[in-house]
This record gives sequence, C-alpha cells and structure tokens, in this order.
Amino acid sequence: MEGRMKKKSLEKKISIWGIIFVLPSMVLFSVFSFYPIAYAFLVSLYKKELLSLESPKFVGLKNYIRLLQSESFWNSVIATLKFALGTFVPMVVFSLLLATFILGRKRFQKLFQMIYYSPAIMQSAVAALVWLIIFDPRSIANQFMNFILGTKGVDYKWLVNENMLVLSTIIVYFWKYVGYFTVLFLAGLASIPREINEAARIDGANRFQTFIHITLPLLKPTTTLVSITAMIQCLRTFSTQYLFVQAGASIKPIEVITLNIYNTAVRDRNIGRASAMSVLLFLVIMLLTIIQLKISRSEETYY
Amino acid sequence: MSQKNIKNALTELFSLIIDIGIWIFLIGFAIFVLVPVVFMFTASLMPARDIMSIPYPWIPRTLHLQNFWQAIRGNDGRFLFSRSIINSLIVASLTTVGTVFLSALTGFGLAKYKFKGRNFVFLTILSTMMIPFEAIMIPLYLLVINIGWQDTYTGLIVPLIASAFGIFVMRQFFITFPDEFIDHARIDGANEFMIFWKIALPNSKPAVAALSVLTFRAQWDNLIWPLLIIQSPEKKTIPLYISQFASEKYTNEGALMAAAVIASIPMIVIFLSFTKYFITGAELFTGRK
Repeated sequence: MEGRMKKKSLEKKISIWGIIFVLPSMVLFSVFSFYPIAYAFLVSLYKKELLSLESPKFVGLKNYIRLLQSESFWNSVIATLKFALGTFVPMVVFSLLLATFILGRKRFQKLFQMIYYSPAIMQSAVAALVWLIIFDPRSIANQFMNFILGTKGVDYKWLVNENMLVLSTIIVYFWKYVGYFTVLFLAGLASIPREINEAARIDGANRFQTFIHITLPLLKPTTTLVSITAMIQCLRTFSTQYLFVQAGASIKPIEVITLNIYNTAVRDRNIGRASAMSVLLFLVIMLLTIIQLKISRSEETYY
Repeated sequence: MSQKNIKNALTELFSLIIDIGIWIFLIGFAIFVLVPVVFMFTASLMPARDIMSIPYPWIPRTLHLQNFWQAIRGNDGRFLFSRSIINSLIVASLTTVGTVFLSALTGFGLAKYKFKGRNFVFLTILSTMMIPFEAIMIPLYLLVINIGWQDTYTGLIVPLIASAFGIFVMRQFFITFPDEFIDHARIDGANEFMIFWKIALPNSKPAVAALSVLTFRAQWDNLIWPLLIIQSPEKKTIPLYISQFASEKYTNEGALMAAAVIASIPMIVIFLSFTKYFITGAELFTGRK
C-alpha cells in the first residue's frame, strides 16, 4: 500500500514537469496569438484611430457595414480572388502533372525536384525584384513573347495594363511555389503502392487510363489537401504586391486584402476598419483550415 | 497475325512519343524555373545599359563588379545594405534558436509527460494554426508598441517564436523517442530539465535540423513584420531594405541584381547543404524504392 502511494506521488511529481515544460509556449500563445485575435474582434466594433486624441468610440457593426458598402473593400476582395484563383488553379494542376511525370521517370528525380523547388528559397522581396526587371518593357519578358509569337517590338505592358499586372504577380507567385507543391504531391504519390498500377497494367489498361481511373481517385485526399493549402497561402499574399506597388505599379488592380489591411492601419490610421477586415480574413481562412483538418482526418484510403 | 504486330508497333511508337513529350515538358519547365535565376546572376555582372539592351546578352561582356560595391555601399554611401544583411542574419538565427528550443521543450512535455489537460493544451496549440499572421498583424503591432518593443530585435523575434507547427513536429518526434533512456536517466538521479537538455535534445538532431532550416527560411523571408515595427534605417532586414531600394527613382538595375545575388547566398548555401530537409518528398520516395 505504501509502495503504491509512493509511486503515485512520484508520478505526480514528474507529471508536474510536463506542465512546466508546456507553460512558456502557452504564455506566449496567449499573449501573441489569442490576445491579438480577440483584440481584433473587439476593436472592430469601435471607431479607433491611431494617434488620434479622441478615445475609441463603440460603434457596433458600423465598421463592417461601411466595409460592405465601400468600393475599396470590394476592390480588394476581387483583387484577392483574381489573384488567389488565378494562381492556385495553375499551381495545383502543374504541380500534380510535374509530380506524376517525375515519378514516371527513372532518373533525375531528385535533380528535377531541386530545380523546381529552388525559387521557394529566395526571399519573396528578391523574387519580386528580379521579376520586376524581367517585366521591364526593354527586358526579356517582352523579348520572349515577341520571339514566340514572331512579332517585333510589341510591349505587353506587364506592369502597366491592369490585367497584365495581375497576371505578372500571379506569374511571380506561381514560379516561386509550384516546386514546393510538386514536392508535396510527390510525397502523396509515393504513398500509392506500385502494385496497384502494375495490377492495372496487367489487366490491360494503358498509362493514361491508369492515371485517370486509378491514380487520380486515390490521390483525391492529397489533391484536396494541397488545394486548400495553396488557396490559403494565396489568400495571405502580401510581399509580391507590396513590392510591385513600391516599384511604382498602380495599386488598384493588386490591392489584395492583406495590403488593404496594412494601408488602412498604417497609412490611414483607421484601426477599427483594419480590424474589421482582419476579422473577415480570419474567418475565411479559419473556415478553409477547418475543412483541411476534416479532410486530413478522413484520409484513410484503403487499398 | 500481322495486324496484331502493327497494333503493337503503333502502341509502342505512341508510348515513345508520349515519353519524349514528357521529357520535353519537364525540361522546358526546368528552363522556365531557372531562367530568372540565371538572369539575376548574369545581370549582376553587367552595367545597367547592357541589362536593358535588346537582345539580352546572356553572356556578360565584362565583369562589372562595381554593381556589388554599389549594392553594398548603397546609393547614399551609408552601407545600409550590409547592415541589413547582418540584421537579417541575427534576427533569423535568433528566431530559429528560440523557436526550435521552445518547440522542443513544449513538444517534449506533451510527448513524455502525462498530466491533466494535456490533450486540451495540445488542441489549443493546434488551434493557433487557424490564425493567419496577416489577421493579427495589426493588433500585434499595437501590442508591441505598447510593450515598448517597437523598433527592436526583441519585438521582431519574441512574438514569432511560439510555433504550433514546430511543436507539432517535435512532439511527433519525441513520441517515438525511447522511454528507456529517460527512465535510466531518472534512476541515475537526473532532474527532468537535465533529461531534456542532455538526453532528449541532443538525440533529436534530424527533427531539430529540419525545423531549424524551415524556420530560418521563413524568418529570412519575412517582410510584413519588420515592415510594421522597424523604423530605423540601421535596423532594417534585407526584404525591408530591398522594398525601399525598389522604390528609389534612380534605379541601377545592375546594382539591384547584385543586391539580389548577395541576399540569396545564405539560403542557397543552406539549401544545397540541407536539401533533403526541404525535399522530404524525395526522402519518402527513395525510401520506397
């Protein structure tokens, strides 16, 4: 009896250490994650200007109503959606194709992965800088297009035309991250046993049929997971657009929601409104993350 | 009989054409990915007027190394770019050390100690992954100003070292860590922190290495947070400096590309040395071969 009591108090002593080890993170999360999001919710209900002499005034949902009526907000929503959809669809499609093709080759797999992945290690600001110069009217983007299309001296206005500007930001982001998602897909593809493909081939299916009817369905959880991750990443974009604007591009076509939040808070000093936008962004991404978690839970495919 | 032979031959030919097509696609895409990198390196060695000449001279006519000097020196001669390199190195390194240590500590606690509410704590930590930084950047900015950490390294680092992803990774690793080592150390009289510091941590090199590499990359790349809280020109990190550099009207593309090359070197070194920690897919795949 005594021995058991001794063991229990020893266990308790040890388990307290678990709490001690975990405490620092919990404190930091409380201060730097939970408090800020709660603060954002709270302040979004107030009229608060940074550096203003008047104290914050409770205005209820007025910030949100004003937001939904504001042209700048909807412009950002459209700019963000244009960018996010325009990037994530090609990115997922190409990374899936690349992963499948790489897997089918017997050589150079690691080399191709390294090459495709390498832009991801560049700083976003640096990548944007390099592409800004490439998109200069005199530089190689125009030269390449003219070469391909056989035209001479046509300027495709990469940084000037509204739609080209959005396309340019998409190209930068796509270039930077398509390799990252290729690697993700390769991890997913690797978990499909080769025997399944071989069995299908023995049964007479050609490679195309095997891909469409066997590989793709088995890959569905991975594809959904990758798609949602990519979508969330695209919604959070900031550096590329900020760099482009800094370099002189017009802001309206590319004022994505994060950039709008930044400008509203820092340039316009309107903290209440910026908080409202932050809350909306949080809700959208939280929704996507929940869907993502639900899918990764059910990723039990049975072979 | 010969009809079947023709069919086989056609199928094989078709297969071959597809194979060639795939190789062309893979190589073509590799070229697309590499062209801007090659452009960056070659342009850093050319005077600006060469960069903008048509056609672009892929092989530099001269080694215009003044670009690098001008990048390091800055348009105003204050060597602020050099300072920003040092700032980025310090901030990224310290953030990495802090994040890895905290993640290991927390992950170890979650993996090896049974206490009341352990699951709740773990789920709470995971839930922070739903909070995108961009949604809390403004409240964080105000908070940091209130604490008085504006324009400091501390303000840049401390809010970022609690990482749910890092904790998740380290907890996964420590779950598979043999309990026998820990029990033996306890019998030998070591206290729990010693067990963590002297036994668990030193033997978790793969997880620590992978987490360090990913954390460093994320912090090296970070623009939005320094943009919010850093004011002094001497405290700027590289992305912040570059974003200001890009807005200066008297741009010299050669110097800009030289700065880009210099800024990329640390990550290139890390990437080449620790490729496998980035390309975990390759690890998984070659493991299956």
